[in-house]
Amino acid sequence: MQDAAAAIEIHDLRKLYGPKGAVDGLTLTVPRGSFFGFLGPNGAGKSTTIRMLTGLIPPTSGTIALLGMPLAEHELEIKRRIGLVPDESLLFDRLTGVEFLEFVGRMYGLARPVARERARELLELFELTAQPRQLIAEYSKGMRKRVAMAASLIHRPELFLMDEPFEGVDAVGARLMKDILLDQVRQGATIFLTSHVLEVVERLCDRVAIINEGKIVREGAMHDLRSASETLEDVFVRLVGAGHAFERLDWL
Amino acid sequence: MITAILRAQFLSMRSFRLDSRRRGAIFSILTSFIWYGLWVFVAFIAEDFFSSAEAGPLIRRGLPAALMFVFLYWQLTPIMSASLGASLDLKKLLIYPVPHAKLFAIEVLLRLTTCGEMLLVLTGAAVGLLRNPQYGGFPTAPRILGPILFFILFNLFLSAGLRNLLERLLTHRRVREILMLVLVLAATLPQLLLATHTPTRSLRYIFTETPGGFWPWTAVSNAALRNGVMMPFLILSAWAVSALVFGRWQFERSLHYDAQDTISPTANTRALSRVESFYRLPSLVLPDPLAAVVEKELRALSRTPRFRMVFIMGFSFGLLVWLPITLGRSGGSIVADHYLTIVSVYALTLLGQVSYLNTFGFDRSAAQIYFSAPVPISQSLIGKNIAAAIFIFVEMLAVTVASLALRIRLRPDAIAEAFTVTAIVGVYLLAIGNLSSIHFPRAMNPERVSQGGAASRLQALIFLFYPIALLPVTLAFWARSVFDSQLIFGLILGFSAILGVVVYWISMESAVAAAVDRREKLLMELSRTEGPVATE
Repeated sequence: MQDAAAAIEIHDLRKLYGPKGAVDGLTLTVPRGSFFGFLGPNGAGKSTTIRMLTGLIPPTSGTIALLGMPLAEHELEIKRRIGLVPDESLLFDRLTGVEFLEFVGRMYGLARPVARERARELLELFELTAQPRQLIAEYSKGMRKRVAMAASLIHRPELFLMDEPFEGVDAVGARLMKDILLDQVRQGATIFLTSHVLEVVERLCDRVAIINEGKIVREGAMHDLRSASETLEDVFVRLVGAGHAFERLDWL
Repeated sequence: MITAILRAQFLSMRSFRLDSRRRGAIFSILTSFIWYGLWVFVAFIAEDFFSSAEAGPLIRRGLPAALMFVFLYWQLTPIMSASLGASLDLKKLLIYPVPHAKLFAIEVLLRLTTCGEMLLVLTGAAVGLLRNPQYGGFPTAPRILGPILFFILFNLFLSAGLRNLLERLLTHRRVREILMLVLVLAATLPQLLLATHTPTRSLRYIFTETPGGFWPWTAVSNAALRNGVMMPFLILSAWAVSALVFGRWQFERSLHYDAQDTISPTANTRALSRVESFYRLPSLVLPDPLAAVVEKELRALSRTPRFRMVFIMGFSFGLLVWLPITLGRSGGSIVADHYLTIVSVYALTLLGQVSYLNTFGFDRSAAQIYFSAPVPISQSLIGKNIAAAIFIFVEMLAVTVASLALRIRLRPDAIAEAFTVTAIVGVYLLAIGNLSSIHFPRAMNPERVSQGGAASRLQALIFLFYPIALLPVTLAFWARSVFDSQLIFGLILGFSAILGVVVYWISMESAVAAAVDRREKLLMELSRTEGPVATE
């Protein structure tokens, strides 16, 4: 029964900071097995939504159900089944890549030998084995994103929540990450990601929602959203109302 | 340009004060008030002493020594407390076209953050001298205030130079520990000389009574007490200019310094495997996820420069500060009788600033993993507490071994007593630490080996809470001395331990509830970055 439910069900979700609503009455359903793109301009409420979905911040009002369970009542059970790639660094700088991944695996309930083995395999997969004693503090931005992605995979989650997962990753790394994510979807996982790179979203996602000023302005299947004459970028710019404000600045 | 930088800093701090840090700010103001209140009291004593017309001979002998104390406190205390004060975050500022001279001027002004106490004392002494009829009173104010101002400038320039020099040296992984030990040894040398009855008369003569007034403090003293005008001013000017040149030189070197160059290649494999076994010890007895958290803490903290510095200082500085006092007494004094206990409790309190009092500090924004992982927050807190306890235990072992190596007579029961007392005090401090970690979280830069402007706040925190934590064991010692009974001592200690566990349990419940309620603010605090001046 539970498995038939949507991966994410959000109803009338609000997050107020003072009188201002960062997220303002958001209602959204993400079907299981979908690759869902959650788009919006800077400050639209994407990261706030993801942080509420992961339980990092409490909503002001509204309900969230993940994998068929209300988040408020089944927080730990839900957390065991989701993988998270946040926008901010979630890495412990003074650990090496393998130590960090093993730590995450154990926090998600894996036995230590299993966590260690998977950590090594993931590091190999993400090509991070060149300097095994290197601390994460010494990693480049792209390497940090790869480790974060590896950490989200280690416990084989059913639902991935990803905030700008490809930011700062080189073309080879991004390609690898995309292939892994598509494979996860093929195996039945659900992916909910935000990205400013609309070409990537267009290529990967089968469903998209666009949020602006805390409200959903458009949601639907990718093929319904764009037309023959319009790309996703055209639709996005039209919906969020980006203008040519720079033209007003004579000196620029 | 300077105004723009200072304004950016002010705005950064203002936003801290106005929102979620309001409680922290109130606490900070309160604790600063207490700390500086103490120094105002000292300043009043100085004013009273130096204004006394009858104290002429004492003033003549005491002023150079007092000024030398000011100099030593000003230059050494920031190093010893690993609190080098606020400083410019050069990485943020170097991209702008700001002349280096202006940056240096701000850096020098920021040195005032580490010496507020000494400015109060100097003010007290200066007012006292001005009111003293023997030295001319207020009409001769320039003669008294001029040298003191030069002395302040000299100290500011020198501390700017020393700070930059130390910050660079301390980025070298092996150098910093050795350097800190050398500094600690140097700082305790005077005490050691006194305690070991080394003839100090000639040293006192060299440092405070040289006829020519060679030192800056003797020059200030000579000028203020009418022992010449030109010569003291020339000497002081020479010292101030030398300090300026040194400060500017070191600042320029820091501007062009790349800490990445100091990263050493892979360490010795055998040493690594030994350390690895230490990290894995908790997993032998604890279940996951508790063991995972403890292991992570052991690894991360032992590789964090700031933690390592404080850890080393915990036993080396504590040991050497109290050692001379012990050596100076053959036994029977409180310090000599409880030497190991005192050093251990000192080490325990010092570790607080880099571990249990702000347990998420080094994790910074990564602390969100404790809230996003399927693990109750209580498990994470307990895991961090266990890791802190392991470090405290290792610290105590180091103190004991060092004491035995120094041939300090330690009876087995004294060792057992020190471990028991420290463990009990530790339980109370961990209880306080869990609450302060949730209610007053503060992101800490693990790469900065010293703490910044929070030094006075920390000292005041120690002043406020540590007596509470020490109260139960102090009561046990008091009862033993009054009733001369080991049994009563043991009973009170046992009761303190049980009470400590209850206090710990209640504080844990409270901290967990607060963590759930405050998680958003807590994570926001830990994700904050600072303005152009690094004060954390």
